[in-house]
Amino acid sequence: MADKGFDPMKLMRDARDTGMDAWAKLMLRLTGSHQYQRMQGFISKPTLLAIAMFRKASDSTMGGVLGNLNMPSREEVLQISQRLTHIEMALDDLAAGLDQLRRSAGAGAGAAASKPQRSPSRDVPTETRPVSAKDA
Amino acid sequence: MAETESAPGMIEKLSTMFDNLVKVTTTKAPIAQTPKQAIWRLNKATLYRYTPVKPAEERHRTPLLLIFALMNKSSILDLRPGNSFVEYMVNKGYDLYLLDWGVPGPEDAHLELADYVLEYIPRAVRKMKQVSGSETFSLLGWCIGAMLSTLYASLRGHSEGLKNLTLLTAPLDFTDKEEISLARMTEERYFDVDRVLQAFGNMPAGLIDYGAKMLKPVENFVGGYMRLLDNLDNTKVVDSWHAMNTWVNDAIPLAGGAYRQFIVDFYRGNKLMNGTLTIRGEKVDLKNLKANLLNVIAEDDHITPPCQSKRLMDKVGSADKLELRVPGGHIGVMAGSGASKGTWPKVESWIAARSD
Repeated sequence: MADKGFDPMKLMRDARDTGMDAWAKLMLRLTGSHQYQRMQGFISKPTLLAIAMFRKASDSTMGGVLGNLNMPSREEVLQISQRLTHIEMALDDLAAGLDQLRRSAGAGAGAAASKPQRSPSRDVPTETRPVSAKDA
Repeated sequence: MAETESAPGMIEKLSTMFDNLVKVTTTKAPIAQTPKQAIWRLNKATLYRYTPVKPAEERHRTPLLLIFALMNKSSILDLRPGNSFVEYMVNKGYDLYLLDWGVPGPEDAHLELADYVLEYIPRAVRKMKQVSGSETFSLLGWCIGAMLSTLYASLRGHSEGLKNLTLLTAPLDFTDKEEISLARMTEERYFDVDRVLQAFGNMPAGLIDYGAKMLKPVENFVGGYMRLLDNLDNTKVVDSWHAMNTWVNDAIPLAGGAYRQFIVDFYRGNKLMNGTLTIRGEKVDLKNLKANLLNVIAEDDHITPPCQSKRLMDKVGSADKLELRVPGGHIGVMAGSGASKGTWPKVESWIAARSD
């Protein structure tokens, strides 16, 4: 009964949590300080410069190799991708415009349905094609 | 007697702990499980519509669009069954949509905030309005998603039928730089944003993750694992931890152009609050934000402290606006264990009152 309240694991956990709290506060003060940020900047500058130089060198070497093999360079592939996105946007706008037209034509047809039917003319059946699942 | 009962119990407990340890170290938790359909795509972005669970006549008339940040996956909004904001809102009868930004590649390094605000969001809104048949809509943005939503609401919201805007932990005001740890980290004298982008094109996910974790290094690098260790025999807690850990470690890069603007125009220039921000030549005037506004501020947020969101209330042109302060951190406020009884009902009831 006496040792029912005694839990060595809990004691250890409490001690650990207290230690971690103190550690967290210390680290927060350290990483939040201007000195720490200055050190980070100091370390990162040469690293970033080296990465940028390596990237430039590899791009130029690979560009030459790919050019000799009649293959598009990285830059060209990226440009194609960007142009595809622009085409995608234009298509999206076209699809939305068509949808708008279809709706207004549908509304017009709905209004016309309540009026006496005219004889079919050439310009009427444009909206009669079935709408595919893709259109929806 | 007690010993004979505890031995099998101990073996079972050890077995559970072992199984849980294997699970969290070797698998990814299944997240974002709520049924949805992709209804629109543009480049890497996808607009999803969540499958409604209520018949049309019982649903709210105004659809709701969710927009999350650019540098983390939107699956946090639909973390796991039983702890998913998306699931909660679908069950409450919303016609719910999610604009997922996808993962930018090197070809997207040029994308700027203008592209997201003036090209992607308006097109996604157009598609949502077409599918839902509603001319008005509600928008909910979280973190940078809230910032993008604010810009969109100021520039296009009024003309495109934005009725209700909910912002969660929106980083908009960068006046108090000493209070904002990330602002200190990205000060010009310490952080050369152009050199980073020259090296990588986009801002790498690893660097963003490192920066965010260094705001509370011990809690993020050690504390989380200690919590797991303490609860390894509790499968429910482990599953929750696993889902969150899967999401946290699935960060994505941020398009270089947008990141540069975010640092230079927002963190350093505070241009939105100063009224000097222009997006593709258009001045962003917060007075043009006229939608009903709910501004949710997390009181213990160390990534977007409350000072970054509160001043917005005085700047917007909304007649119906409310600032809601909730306990919790940047992510916990919406994805923590208490969110389903704290933040979600408050946000939902505010939107519901303005959705029919």
